[in-house]
Amino acid sequence: MSASPLVARDLGKRFRRRDWALRDLTLTIPKGGVVGLAGPNAAGKSTLLSLAAGLLAPSEGSIEVFGRDPLQSPEVLAEVGYVAQGAPLYRSFRVADTLEYARRTNPRWDAEIAVELLTRIDSQAKVGALSAGERARLALAIALGKRPRLVLLDEPFASLDPLAGRELLQLLMDGVAELGATVIVASHVVADIQRVCDHIVLLSNGCVRLEGGVDELLESHRLLTGPRRPLGSIRGVREIVRERYSGRQQTMLVITDGPIVDPSWTVDPVSLEELLLAYMAPERLPTPRTAEGVPLRWHG
Amino acid sequence: MAWVTWRQHRAHAFGALGLLVALAVAAVLTHMPISSAFGHDSLSACLPSSPRTGCDIIVPHFESEFSGLVTATRVMAVLPLLAGLFVGAPLIARELEFGTYRFAWTQGVSRRYWLLSKTALLAAGTLVAAGAASLLVMWWRSPFDQLEGRIGPNGFDIEGIVVPAYALFALALGVLAGLVFRRTVAAMTATLVAFGATRALVSDFVRPHFMAPLHRVIAAPATSAMPGDWVLSNTLVNAGGRRVTAGNEELAVLHAQQAGIDPHTYILTLGWRRIVSYQPAGRFWTFQLFEAGLFACLAVVLILVALWLVRRTPV
Amino acid sequence: MIEFHLDPQSGVATYLQIVRQVKDALRLGTLDVGDQLPTVREVVADLAVNPNTVAKAYRELEHEGLVVARQGRGTFIAMTLAPASLQHHEELREELERWLASARRAGLDEESIRALVSTTLRESLARRVA
Repeated sequence: MSASPLVARDLGKRFRRRDWALRDLTLTIPKGGVVGLAGPNAAGKSTLLSLAAGLLAPSEGSIEVFGRDPLQSPEVLAEVGYVAQGAPLYRSFRVADTLEYARRTNPRWDAEIAVELLTRIDSQAKVGALSAGERARLALAIALGKRPRLVLLDEPFASLDPLAGRELLQLLMDGVAELGATVIVASHVVADIQRVCDHIVLLSNGCVRLEGGVDELLESHRLLTGPRRPLGSIRGVREIVRERYSGRQQTMLVITDGPIVDPSWTVDPVSLEELLLAYMAPERLPTPRTAEGVPLRWHG
Repeated sequence: MAWVTWRQHRAHAFGALGLLVALAVAAVLTHMPISSAFGHDSLSACLPSSPRTGCDIIVPHFESEFSGLVTATRVMAVLPLLAGLFVGAPLIARELEFGTYRFAWTQGVSRRYWLLSKTALLAAGTLVAAGAASLLVMWWRSPFDQLEGRIGPNGFDIEGIVVPAYALFALALGVLAGLVFRRTVAAMTATLVAFGATRALVSDFVRPHFMAPLHRVIAAPATSAMPGDWVLSNTLVNAGGRRVTAGNEELAVLHAQQAGIDPHTYILTLGWRRIVSYQPAGRFWTFQLFEAGLFACLAVVLILVALWLVRRTPV
Repeated sequence: MIEFHLDPQSGVATYLQIVRQVKDALRLGTLDVGDQLPTVREVVADLAVNPNTVAKAYRELEHEGLVVARQGRGTFIAMTLAPASLQHHEELREELERWLASARRAGLDEESIRALVSTTLRESLARRVA
């Protein structure tokens, strides 16, 4: 049995007397597939990826990539393709130089995979002269060309126009199909990644708010709309996640454990973006109570 | 990593080569009048070991004619620092400043290996360049070395094996400074200050004591009677062996002048002697070995610290 | 060859959208028995979706008997969705009218009936595919 691509146990990271960027984070990323790491800015996504890439040391707890500590074993570095935010590269190098650099510092280098991502880019062009989209493609080409088993992308679409972003996503998915690698993509814009993720991890304020397979999450959540009234238990609803009132109407995001056939509610599916926004919301909201005054349980 | 180091530092290599060529051209051009004067006045017959009559006039004349140039060449002591400022300091600081460490340190080589191989290769290049500069200076200063010796401050710091050792030290200092300060300009400043301070400390307080200095009594007040040696101090002591203050010395000279006697003779009759503490010219290579060894060891220690620190750099 | 499109905001899982589009094409006749579906990599490159998703959709279609995967050559349509025969339609319609009468007797108005029908339909579809 081979180890999971990423396992975090009570992981915490703090930067020099500042607040904790991550705290008590426990997470296991499943093998294969595309994991979306979602959450608002400063949620800890970049920190988590930096820890996985061996660029930072944990302040507390542990992180393991394929069963090993990324900071202590450079063999892990060879199996992880990492593209940091902004796709940092040597601007004075030419594209060909960058590829040569990667070839000489990675034991398993597949030039064909890299070159596939670099169509229409002049290999003699200076990296500094490339557009943001081309630089992102080059960084991805380097990350995939080393034939990694885990690909970590930190906000790859941040400075890209929609067309360049779509192209990058297509190339990424094609590369994933060929390599069979596990991918973790961090993005604060859910729309960018929801096409491709089959697993979602939502971070907010340094801890995990929600985690699970995308299909399962979409299937198990529903949006209920109906007239405002004191709540009893609703058949089919296991738990209420969030609730909104406006005038005489109330809207609830619920987790279901069966079909909801109560005709007094309109039941709608929920998009991934709405789902994540609901779980991201801050804690300080009134706890809804039943008619008997018993508080209904909040999640997260 | 050899290709990587070359590709990232080839500009430095070409710069160093260009600088050496420029220095060589300047050296050749400025040396022509020197060598012609040296030959014209047959100064080769005036070496300290076998002075002939008339040397006590033509040698000082030769030296004063070119003293400006000789003093100017002392600026070559700055050359080793360049390795620290322009190669060592930016090595890590630039990567941290521009964020490219997130690219360089996530490929298939560990940070330590990256740093060690880069530093080793750059050190080799630095040693070669510094060695070439040292040889150039030694060639240029050869007439002066023969006449006034090389163990003194005019020659010691810019000739011999200390030059590559200084350069290695500067490089190591720059690398560590870059790691600690994480900004190129701050690292360069720290390197400059630390290099200058260490060099001054060693040359003023440590070098004179590599071996116990010798002492000699001399007759004349000036030390031109000791060419080639490095005079550390020149003290006038009375018959009891106690140092004569400058005030008392002036008084004695005044007294002698009033009486119409030669001041130097008068001082001798008082029983006063001039004692000179010095390092003989023959100790040049021994001292070079001590100083070069010292700076080389410092360089190694600095690199080891950098290798230890780079793993723990919280970036 | 069918070209897929994706509606990311619909709340319907991506693989289900692909399954539905294949079935719609079969119903409309734009896909026929023996036609080849695009390869996983072609769909991935075109739509920028997860290869697992495409594989899951194709597996579901295969499970329903609509397509067959030929090793090394691709995925091909195996069966059309023949419109149900007229007789079945008639039976089902009568059954539906009886049910609607019961629902009205129970006090449901048109909107409630519509809500109940659409919810139950969605739930049952999801349960079948899960």
